[in-house]
Amino acid sequence: MLEVLRLDAGYGPARVLHEVDLVVRPGEMVFVVGRNGAGKTTLLKTIAGLLAPAAGEIRFEGRSLAGLTPERRARMGFRYVNQEKRVFSRLSVRANIELAARGAGEPFDAAWRRAVALYPKLEEFRALPAGRLSGGQREILLIGRALAGEPRLLLIDEPTEGLAAIVIEDILRILERMRQSVSAIIVEQNLAVVRRLADRIYVMKEGRIVHEIADPRQLAASEQLECFL
Amino acid sequence: MIQTVVYGLTIGAILYFFSVGLALTFGTMHIINFAHGMVYTLGVYLFITFLQALGESFLLALVASLLAMLPVAWVIERFVIRRLYGESLDYAIIATYGVLLIGTDAIKMIWGTTPHPVNDPIGIALPLAGMDLPLYRVGIVLSAFALYGALRAFFKRSLVGKVVVAALEDAEGVRCLGIDVNRHFSIIFVLGSALAVLGGVLYAPISTADPYMGFHILLLAFAVVIVGGMGNLNGTFLAALALGMVMAVTGRFWSQAANAMVFVVMALVILLRPREAH
Repeated sequence: MLEVLRLDAGYGPARVLHEVDLVVRPGEMVFVVGRNGAGKTTLLKTIAGLLAPAAGEIRFEGRSLAGLTPERRARMGFRYVNQEKRVFSRLSVRANIELAARGAGEPFDAAWRRAVALYPKLEEFRALPAGRLSGGQREILLIGRALAGEPRLLLIDEPTEGLAAIVIEDILRILERMRQSVSAIIVEQNLAVVRRLADRIYVMKEGRIVHEIADPRQLAASEQLECFL
Repeated sequence: MIQTVVYGLTIGAILYFFSVGLALTFGTMHIINFAHGMVYTLGVYLFITFLQALGESFLLALVASLLAMLPVAWVIERFVIRRLYGESLDYAIIATYGVLLIGTDAIKMIWGTTPHPVNDPIGIALPLAGMDLPLYRVGIVLSAFALYGALRAFFKRSLVGKVVVAALEDAEGVRCLGIDVNRHFSIIFVLGSALAVLGGVLYAPISTADPYMGFHILLLAFAVVIVGGMGNLNGTFLAALALGMVMAVTGRFWSQAANAMVFVVMALVILLRPREAH
């Protein structure tokens, strides 16, 4: 479905990613783990089209994404969920979903129903400015926003970072529910989350993929992950 | 004193009309747009030309000048501003200042350098507290309040408005939803330009039209945008009225310092404004 081939990318002259190879198959939930500064966020942003590769290629269903803007990639079914839990804070929760529906070319009612089905409390917060939501609620809103228009590939950056355990459980349930319908690359540091959801894991270090754990049976008992974090 | 207040609110209202476009351009596109001054001036000169051609009908000439300036604004956005998205501020300043200089010289070549007076289209004064208050000035102040209300409704209710409010905060986030932010920025740029023309036309009967009128208001408007907060539309409204009052009150007691005091206030705001921790 998605192939990342020998990808180099970074910010201006500063190269962060070096020859990264990565594959996502249909329906897979692939996790990327690694220490801070390993290049995980840069990888997601490059796939989303927010950063231009310096070398290498990204292919989606056999088609090169070279030169495609983030909005074009979003219309192809990519959705990027940022790490900072940055919602459109001055707009209402409803308006956040409305913009997502507009971008995805889906009627608002359908996008709203899907988001509320994931997290019924959104109905209570409908008219509230999104900036007044808690961190966990913001993450759920971002995921709800990303699901508008039935995306093909989610790029989610650290969905549980800084959240309380009870909220993490809500987010895990949401991710488990949607795993059948959409592929995802998820950057995550919480190994309990990784072990519970991952189909495959890539480990990043200093801008390179240094290890791939392809067998889910290895994951439950795996202690080797800790070595990379 | 009432006259000073009305004068201050009038200047503030004109500053508001002009500054909205600047604030939006900076807030959404992160571009300091000096070309806004050229749009303002050219709009007024076209208005004067239409006024003569259309039998001194203020309203018709206003509408005609607005319509004539829309394609001019679109051309500036499409061929100058859009090429500056994501570039450093220096490029934007140089390119848009170039447009301002070229436009000003073109205006001088076509209409000359002699100031052009414009008559008060209402010509009625309201007797108030022993003095005559021009109804036209009251109308300008009221129209600024009406514009503020209309813009609030626009940004709260319309889809274009919501996209712009979202993009002011997180343009990348909007793009990642599949929305073409640049197209919405173009709409907002043209809207802001139209408001600058409207402000210029409304101001013309109070002052006179001259080729450098855009330079003068541009500097004051930058102060408004900085005091109001870059891209903050409520702040822009309040700052425009407040700085208009600063000019009027200072001018009443010390006319030479009226403009300078605006920048004193701006400097104080920059010094005293709480800084975001990084």
